[in-house]
Amino acid sequence: MQPVVHFKNVNKSYGALTAVDDLDLAIAPGQFVTLLGPSGCGKSTTLRMLGGFDSPTSGEIYLEGKPISHLPPNRRNVNIVFQDYALFPHLTVGRNIAFGLELKGMESAAIHKRVSDLLALVSLQDHAERMPAQLSGGQRQRVALMRALAPDPNVLLLDEPLSALDAKLRQQMQIELKSIQKKTGKTFIFVTHDQEEALTMSDVIVVMNKGRIEQMGGPDELYARPRSRFVANFIGQSNFLEGTVASVSGGIASVEWRGNAVNADVNGTAPIPGDHVTVALRPEAVFCLSRKPEDRQSLKGRIDQRVFKGAHTSLTVKLDNGSTLEAQIDPVALSHIEGDDVWVGWRDRDAVLLAK
Amino acid sequence: MRTYFNDLPKTALGASYWIFAVYLVLPLALMMAMSFKDANFIAFPIGNWTLSWYGKVIQDKQFLEASLYSIGIALATTISATIIGVWIALLVSAENIWGKAVIFALACLPAVVPGLINAISMRIFIRAVDIPTGTFAIILAHTVHAVPFVVIMVLTRLRSMPANLVDAARDLGADPFIAFLRVTIPYLMPALFGGMIFCVLTSIDDFVRTFFLGGYQPTLPMLIFAKVQGGMSPEINAMATIVLVVTTAVGLYAEHFTRRSRS
Ligand SMILES: Nc1ncnc2c1ncn2[C@@H]1O[C@H](COP(=O)(O)OP(=O)(O)OP(=O)(O)O)[C@@H](O)[C@H]1O
Ligand SMILES: [Mg+2]
Repeated sequence: MQPVVHFKNVNKSYGALTAVDDLDLAIAPGQFVTLLGPSGCGKSTTLRMLGGFDSPTSGEIYLEGKPISHLPPNRRNVNIVFQDYALFPHLTVGRNIAFGLELKGMESAAIHKRVSDLLALVSLQDHAERMPAQLSGGQRQRVALMRALAPDPNVLLLDEPLSALDAKLRQQMQIELKSIQKKTGKTFIFVTHDQEEALTMSDVIVVMNKGRIEQMGGPDELYARPRSRFVANFIGQSNFLEGTVASVSGGIASVEWRGNAVNADVNGTAPIPGDHVTVALRPEAVFCLSRKPEDRQSLKGRIDQRVFKGAHTSLTVKLDNGSTLEAQIDPVALSHIEGDDVWVGWRDRDAVLLAK
Repeated sequence: MRTYFNDLPKTALGASYWIFAVYLVLPLALMMAMSFKDANFIAFPIGNWTLSWYGKVIQDKQFLEASLYSIGIALATTISATIIGVWIALLVSAENIWGKAVIFALACLPAVVPGLINAISMRIFIRAVDIPTGTFAIILAHTVHAVPFVVIMVLTRLRSMPANLVDAARDLGADPFIAFLRVTIPYLMPALFGGMIFCVLTSIDDFVRTFFLGGYQPTLPMLIFAKVQGGMSPEINAMATIVLVVTTAVGLYAEHFTRRSRS
């Protein structure tokens, strides 16, 4: 299938600073795509280049197969929802939503119909005559969304649209946004630096760092199979084990780690014995037992710290090999206490080798 | 500061304020009172009250002509100063303009140059470029004087404008001109309105520039000045009272309007 949006070798520099570095990104139509990364990694710049507010220093952007870098924002069939909503303060909610439709030359009866349909979609039928200043944050957010959807763009761009909302409203809006995306079947490109938000809403997550794509994939794939230390740490938490590959067989590498042999999935890399590698291991993939298990590999250690977190309990285990490991265990299943000896281990596939 | 003032007895502060207020209002009140005096000299007691001076003023052809002339000049000044002022404000607020600071400083200069100096230099200037004294020269001078106030008011408003508003309009299909008309101008409206009222009031009020640049036709301040030369009379008081009431009403309305649209 032809990608709806395609960045081809796009660069953007501001003087000596490279905001976006050789970006190559193809986005399939109808997907909820999230650009995720820390502050300053180039997410907004990427979005603004697609919207037409910044132009690439080099490279080309294609929208439905056509190059668009030379087009001004008003001639691109994409619309953007700004972080601060940017509602026109002098126009009513209805007129705000109608703005793009009027400029398209739509008849006023048709505009009226479309505006009320859109307002109904977010349960704001009764608010058409209000001014933006008379709305709550969540309502403004919805109006901004509907205003951007009104001209029926191929692609909707959202730059951290939920960051001004409080936690509860934010979760509600995440679900609402996702359902609107499904209902309309449009491509959403959503920018956030909040990994939880990205995991909740996305079909595809593009993790960015320093203007480059670190990794791209489905939320579960990124979570289970991070390819770099950056991704393993930015999405969820990880233990990192640095060692040397001893042998590889059946997609599982045996790694020499501080005098112990531990196993990990090769995770798409092609290690050879002697390679120095890093293994990433999720705390919740670690099991803790009071007695040494006979049927699987384990490492001996002692519980250094135990923190009850409600849904799980977090353990810091000091291993006999001198390092520490974070583990998450079921809060009721076990009653390990600080100072107890434990044996920890994991299923081979749950630990992954990192490419970098 | 606060605690320092708190040491002063409240009554002393209050009393001195009221003395000041009386000092502000009393001359105006006297002037207005005298305009109702049924005699053709100004002195207490008023004795009999009358509206006849107002009748006389309203039928005074000179007064009406001067008023219309002043209003015409004020409107022309307002239109040209607003257009130039908005243009300069946009220029100064644009991101990549070279010499912004210089443009801004030059635009604001007439606000600090003394009126007399301004008037004399304009007089020399129009002589040099062969513009006759009269309406056009007056409008030129009034415009130069009014522009800085428009620039500052519009610029202040522009600086509070979220940068994304114009981007949002562009995004929704507006070209730069439509975005300016439909988003920037409405956003600037309170500042524009305030600036325009200010232009009207300063133009109508101006004496010095008009004195140096005017032709034979008198504006309202010139007419009043000419009449005062012939001696004060209750008729002048009536004229001044009319001007005072009208300009105060306009000023108050403008204040009310800008305050309402700001909230
Ligand atoms: N107009 C500009 N002039 C100079 N540098 C800029 C400009 N816009 C962005 N940058 C720089 O480019 C880099 C990327 O900025 P960008 O706004 O894309 O980051 P971001 O990922 O959206 O971050 P955030 O999460 O903080 O919004 C940053 O280092 C930023 O300082
Ligand atoms: Mg950003």
